[in-house]
Amino acid sequence: MMSAPAPLMHDKKEVSKEVILSVSGLKKHFPISSGIVFQRQVGAVRAVDDVSFDVYRGETLGLVGESGCGKSTTGRTILQLYRPTAGSVQFEGKELTTMKGEELRAMRREMQIIFQDPFASLNPRMTVGNIVSEPLRIHNILRGKELREYVENLLEKVGLNPFYINRYPHEFSGGQRQRIGIARALALNPKFIVCDEPISALDVSIQAQVVNLLEDLQQELGLTYLFIAHDLSMVRHICDRVAVMYLGKIVELAATDELYDNPLHPYTQALLSAVPVPDPSVEEDRQRILITGDLPSPANPPKGCNFNTRCPVRMDACFREPDPALTEVSPGHWVACHRVP
Amino acid sequence: MGVLMEVKNLVTRFYTQEGTIYAVNDVSYTLNEGETLGVVGESGSGKSVHALSIMGLIPMPPGKVTNGEVWFQGRDLLKLNKEEMRLVRGAEIAMIFQDPMTSLNPVLTVGTQITEALKLHLGMNNTQADNRATELIDMVGIPDARKRLHNYPHQFSGGMRQRIMIAMALSCNPKLLIADEPTTALDVTIQAQIIELVKQLQKELKMAMIWITHDLGVVAGMADTIQVMYGGRTVERGPIKPVFRDPRNAYTLGLLNSLPRLDAAQKRQRLTQIEGSPPDMRVEPVGDSFAPRNPYRTERCWTETPPLRQAEGGVEGHMVAAWYDLREIRKQQQLEGKR
Repeated sequence: MMSAPAPLMHDKKEVSKEVILSVSGLKKHFPISSGIVFQRQVGAVRAVDDVSFDVYRGETLGLVGESGCGKSTTGRTILQLYRPTAGSVQFEGKELTTMKGEELRAMRREMQIIFQDPFASLNPRMTVGNIVSEPLRIHNILRGKELREYVENLLEKVGLNPFYINRYPHEFSGGQRQRIGIARALALNPKFIVCDEPISALDVSIQAQVVNLLEDLQQELGLTYLFIAHDLSMVRHICDRVAVMYLGKIVELAATDELYDNPLHPYTQALLSAVPVPDPSVEEDRQRILITGDLPSPANPPKGCNFNTRCPVRMDACFREPDPALTEVSPGHWVACHRVP
Repeated sequence: MGVLMEVKNLVTRFYTQEGTIYAVNDVSYTLNEGETLGVVGESGSGKSVHALSIMGLIPMPPGKVTNGEVWFQGRDLLKLNKEEMRLVRGAEIAMIFQDPMTSLNPVLTVGTQITEALKLHLGMNNTQADNRATELIDMVGIPDARKRLHNYPHQFSGGMRQRIMIAMALSCNPKLLIADEPTTALDVTIQAQIIELVKQLQKELKMAMIWITHDLGVVAGMADTIQVMYGGRTVERGPIKPVFRDPRNAYTLGLLNSLPRLDAAQKRQRLTQIEGSPPDMRVEPVGDSFAPRNPYRTERCWTETPPLRQAEGGVEGHMVAAWYDLREIRKQQQLEGKR
């Protein structure tokens, strides 16, 4: 119902302090090559450049930033869909970056991904039943009647009529397709899901449905999410902690309310002030911190601090000194800025 | 303020192989000089098609404006022939689009593209046009304007390209600028830059604007009037503050309630979602298109289309199309809440 007061989900979500995923010094550089016959590497796009963070069991960690900041690459590199250039990714204490073959394939049952574009991420020639059951068939878990029942249950769980099992993706709307993508991700009972902009391609009136579904599933199944997004209002709603990325690096990481109420990095401040609020009375008095210019190329990042080309409060040290390290300024609040002691 | 444009009973259809698409179903409104109208709706709500219909940019066939009048400066735009309309477009009404990547010609320099309109509409010679183009590029905040005239679109970033589109749109001092999701493809920091720029230019040039978007936040920050569209119809319209404070259509209310707020601390509440999905535009609309998703629907909503009329007890100009009275329903709920 639309107007009835929404039921309180939980006063305080239970998030353990047990680390489920630990990322340290992660780098992913894509080579730029030149030459026709003899390809030489002439440079590298530093999509992810030395990123470290922990994810706790049962939490939702938000990863935000503008397009090209490396947030999606980070998600995919964690899942080993891209092999990292350097760094380590440990899932439940097991190192993923050195795993390969059968061992890695087995690990994939624990970690899944939901993609942004529900139109491009589903094979148009497969039925919904085949799409959702494919992971189960690959891992040889269920077959025959049992498989069909399992898939029907899954479809019901994500709010789709099991009756649709033999239909094709084009027969569904965007929101329903995203539900199919979610069912596929859930099929193997994973512990950890990378949600790569799962609602950006959906209509406004459908976004809330999908976000509610993701939250319900998290509650029910004890899932851990890495939620990649650029909609900062939605991130505030769904995430327990948020990391802000800029040009391949994390510039700030804190608990959600702390980050939104007390942003310390000038980029976070500018980013938050740029988000429009759907309330004319609030918008009227809002002061925006406008940052000028565009994102520099990650193939040729600025010398010194990455943000020094656009920063409204830059000083000499930001050009002279190397890139500031991510340091903990108060418990759980990490910032990488020369201005912040 | 005088009336700049009057849209009357606009109806647009697309006749495709899969059947008729009922894109715009009887839209009427007036736009004053210097006014900013924010048109809000989801994909398929008819918000973009209605603007393209005004501009005479509907591809025919398959599309057709089957009914309506668009009065602009004493002429009905829908009655003009191709040549006459070409002189209105660009000169008196300009338009910018969502995707700055595809709306610029990649094989022409931006200078060539900006000066084209200046030569066509204002009869300038090459030197005059180049000088004016330099001014325009400078005005939208691109440094090194004269040199940049010789660059191609791929040499600019997305935000820069949208600035060039704006420069091009404003080149002939139009009286009306129609912006169709101009910031949707851009990042928030760039979006903020573009909105600031457009607001400032609008003040300087004293033009009216129709800003089409799905983002209620953007409208809240810049529009004087908001018009909410659903299923090809205007379901609510009025001065911006009363509509946000006291929405009278269940769809408007549902949208506002479903949005998480950047400025509200985490309460860990579920979002109040709107059930169901948007209407299939291939089906001829009967009654109120929002009825299947509307918890407050009445029997009448299924069969009769509600007209857009003055909201009872609302400020003047706050119009709503609904058979139910949301104000009454909310009063009832408050009473029940107290009991």
